[in-house]
Amino acid sequence: MVTATKVFTYPETIKADFLKTGGLKFGDGTEVSAEEIWRFMTEEGPRRFPHAFDASANSIGKLSDDVTFFSGIKRAYLTLTMKDRLYKAHDNGVPIVMIQGGQTLDPYYAAGGIPLRPGYIMQWARDVEEGLNLREIDNRGLEILESGRRKVSIEACNQLAAHAAVANNIVPVDLIAPYLCLRCSDMSFLVETHRHKEDQRPKYLVDFPINQTGKPWTVDYLAEQLRGLVKEVAKLSKKEVTDEVLRAEIKRQNKARKLAQEIIELWWSAEQPPLNSTDFFSIPFLANDFVGDPQATIQVLEETKKEVEYRVQNKIKGTGVVDNAKRVFVCGSCVGPNSTSVERAGAVLVGRDDNFSCNSVLVKEEGDPYRNLAEAILAFPYEQPTEQRAEWVAEMVKKSRADGVLFMYNWGCNYQTAVGRLISDIVKDKTGKPSTFVEVGELGRSEATEQSENRVEAFIEMI
Amino acid sequence: MSRTATSVTKVTVLEKIRQAVIDRPAQIAAAKKQGQKVVGWLNYFVPEELLLALDVIPVRVGVGGDEQLVDIGGRYISTKNCVFVRAAVGLLGEKKDPYTPLLDLLAVDASCLQVFRLAEVVKYYFKYETLILGVPRSFTAPEGQAYFRHELQDFTAALEKFSGRKLEQAKLKAAIELLAKIRESLQYLYQYQSQDYANLNWRDVFEIVHAGFYLDRAEYLKLLQELIAELKELPEDKSKIPGTEPRVFISGSQLSPGDVKLINIIEDLGGKIVGDDLWTGLASYLDIQIAAPTVDALADGYLARVPHAALPYLNISTDSRIKKLKELLGRFRAQAVIDHTLRYCDPYTFKAGETKDILNNEGFPFLEIHTEYASSDIEAIRTRVEAFLELVRTRNDVAGGI
Repeated sequence: MVTATKVFTYPETIKADFLKTGGLKFGDGTEVSAEEIWRFMTEEGPRRFPHAFDASANSIGKLSDDVTFFSGIKRAYLTLTMKDRLYKAHDNGVPIVMIQGGQTLDPYYAAGGIPLRPGYIMQWARDVEEGLNLREIDNRGLEILESGRRKVSIEACNQLAAHAAVANNIVPVDLIAPYLCLRCSDMSFLVETHRHKEDQRPKYLVDFPINQTGKPWTVDYLAEQLRGLVKEVAKLSKKEVTDEVLRAEIKRQNKARKLAQEIIELWWSAEQPPLNSTDFFSIPFLANDFVGDPQATIQVLEETKKEVEYRVQNKIKGTGVVDNAKRVFVCGSCVGPNSTSVERAGAVLVGRDDNFSCNSVLVKEEGDPYRNLAEAILAFPYEQPTEQRAEWVAEMVKKSRADGVLFMYNWGCNYQTAVGRLISDIVKDKTGKPSTFVEVGELGRSEATEQSENRVEAFIEMI
Repeated sequence: MSRTATSVTKVTVLEKIRQAVIDRPAQIAAAKKQGQKVVGWLNYFVPEELLLALDVIPVRVGVGGDEQLVDIGGRYISTKNCVFVRAAVGLLGEKKDPYTPLLDLLAVDASCLQVFRLAEVVKYYFKYETLILGVPRSFTAPEGQAYFRHELQDFTAALEKFSGRKLEQAKLKAAIELLAKIRESLQYLYQYQSQDYANLNWRDVFEIVHAGFYLDRAEYLKLLQELIAELKELPEDKSKIPGTEPRVFISGSQLSPGDVKLINIIEDLGGKIVGDDLWTGLASYLDIQIAAPTVDALADGYLARVPHAALPYLNISTDSRIKKLKELLGRFRAQAVIDHTLRYCDPYTFKAGETKDILNNEGFPFLEIHTEYASSDIEAIRTRVEAFLELVRTRNDVAGGI
C-alpha cells in the first residue's frame, strides 16, 4: 500500500533567528551565507534529496526535530551538500580516499586528500541519483550491497556496500587506504577484493598492531606505516607534506577532538539532556569525520558548544526527549539504534564507545608528528585488549549515568560480536547495569527494521 | 582415525603412529608430574622451535566436526564467528578432551583475528593463561618485518619467564633441525601418497600430520623416518588402477582433526584426494627457511613462508599463496580443486571467487564448498560433489584419461 509521505520542514518562525547565526567558511576558501543555507534546507535540499526530509520515524537518517538547535541545521546542511563538495574537490585534483571508520584523519587531510569512511561513501553513492524518496534510496543502497555480496560473500558485513560502490565506479574514489584491525577484521579482506577484476586504483594499508600495550616497537611500526600513507596520498595530491604541515593538521583536528570532549562533558553534566539523541550522537561523528571539510565542521562544533552551554545554563531540554528519559549507552560495532524509536520508547542515547573512543585521545602537538599520531591511535580505548576496553566502557557508563547498555553489531561482524558478551559481562559486573545484544542486518535501511526496533524498545521498557 | 582402508598392503608404522597418539595424553601427564610444562597453541605463526628449545611440550589445539562444541563455544564468543573458533572455545571451556586439561599456557598468534578474540574470551571465562604473538598485516614491508622480530623477541622473553629457562642457542639449533626434518618427512609423504601405486593415501598422510600436533616431536620424527623406510621397502600397490578416480586437490582454510564430512563425501563418491594447501595440512610445513639459530631468524623465516590468507596482499599477480597453490596442483598432478571454507571464515571465503577465476583460467575445474560442522548440509554437499566429480570424469574421458 502506498502511503502519503510525511514531509519534514523547517518553520518560517525560526528563520530570522537562524539568519543571525551567520554562514560557514570552507577549506577551499569559499563561503556560504546563512541565507543560502536556509534556502538550501527549505527549497533545494527537499527537492534534490526528498528521502532526507521524510519525517517518518523509521528513517534512521532522519533530520533532527530540534529546529531551534541551529548548529544542528548547519550540520544537516554540511551532510546534504557533501556530495557537491566531493565532486568539486575531485574535479580540482583532490584525491578521494576510502578509509575505515573510527580512525584518525590527520594524515589524509595533511597530505591533501579527503578521507571518507564507508558510511559516507555509501551516502554519496546512494545520492548520485537525486530526487529519490526513502523507499527508492533504500532500494538503491540494497542494489549496491547485493552487487557486493554477489562478488564477495553474503557473510561480509554491510560495509561491503561501500566497497561495491567503489568497485563499480559509482563514486570516484582515487585511493583505498584504511587503517586495519582497528575495530574491524573484515576491512583488510574487503580491501583485498579490489585487487581482482577492477580498475587498478592504488591501495595502501596501515596496519594497526593489536595487543599493543607496553610495546614501544608498535609505535615505530605504526609511525612508519603512517609515513607511507602520507606519501601515497601526496603522490596523488602532488602536495609537499612536511612535518610542519602534519603538525598543523594535528593541531586543527585536536581542536575538533577537544570540542567533542567538552560538548560531551557538558551534555552529561546537564540535569536534562540539552540535545536529543540524533543531535548528541552527531557530535563525535562530526569531530572525527568532518563530512569532507574540517574547517566548516569545526565551526559547526564551536557553535554547537555555545548552544549547548546556553541550554545547560537555562535548563532547556532537547526536542523529542521525554522527561526523566531512561539513559542508554551504546556499545559495539559500526551501528547504533534508531534515535527516534529510542526516544519514542522513552529513552535517550547517552554515549557510544565506538565514536567516543577516537575523540578521547589528543595527539601531542610537538615533536615527530608521525610518532605522536601513532602513540595516540594506539591509545584509543576502544582498541585496547578487550578487558581493558570494557573497564573504560564501564567508566563511561558511570559518567553518563546510563541505566542500561545496548550492545549492537552489524550482520557479519566477527570481530566485535566475538567480545560482545565479554564486554557486557564486565560492564554489568562493574556498574550493575543491565545489557542486551541486538544484531542489525538493516544498516542504513528504513524498511523491515521492526525486529531490531522491537528488541531495543523491549530493553528500554525493561530498564 | 582413518575411515577407509588404507591399502591392500598393511603399513605397520601407521598403526604405531596411531597407538602413539592414543598413548600420548598419559605421557604428557607423566611429564607434567616431572615438572615439564605444556603449551597449547593456535593459528599459524607460533614457532614450535622456541617451545621445544625451552623444554616445554607443544600441543596444537583445535578440533573440527563437533557441533556440540560449536554450540557451547557460541555461548561465550559469537554465532558470527567461524565454527572452528566456536568449537575451540567449546573445547577449551569443556576440558573433556585428553589435552586441554593438561595445558599450562595457551599461545596464540594474531594472524586470524577471530582466534585472537578466542584467546581473550577463554582467558576471561575459563581462566587460561594466554600469550599473544602479534603478526603484521604489512608483512612484506620492512617495518612489518622489524615489528615481527620485536614481537617474537617479546614472546620469547615471556616464554622464558613462563618456563623458568633461558633460551640456549644450541637447543634452538637442535629444535630448528628437528622440525626441519619433520617438515621434510611430511613433504616426502605428501609426494609419496600422490603416486599411482602408493601404499598410503592422502587421508592417511593427513592423519599423520594431525598426529604431529600432539606427539613428542623427536619421537614423531623417528616414527616418520621409520614409516618412510617401510614405504620404500614395500612393493607398490598394484591393486590400484590409475586414471579411474578423479584427482582432487583440497584448497582453502582448514580441516581440523575430526572434521571429516567433506573428506568422506569425496572418497565415498570415488574421488582421490591428492593434496591440500590447508593450514592444518601441508601449508604449515612449506617453505620455512631458518637461516640461523636466533629468534630474529625464526621471525624472518616464519614471516617469509606461504602467507596465511588472513594477511592481506594487494597485488594478485605476485601473491605467493596463489603461486604456491598452482605449484602444488602441478606437483600432485591434480585434475580439479575443491575449495573448502567454513562459514564466517572471511579471509578464505572472500577469496574463493577470485581463486576460482584464476584456476578456471588455468584449466582446473573448481568447486567451492562453504559449510560448517552441522550435518544438515551433507546431502546438499554430496549432490554438488557428485556432479563435480562427474564433470571431472567426463572431462578426463574426453581428454583420453590421465
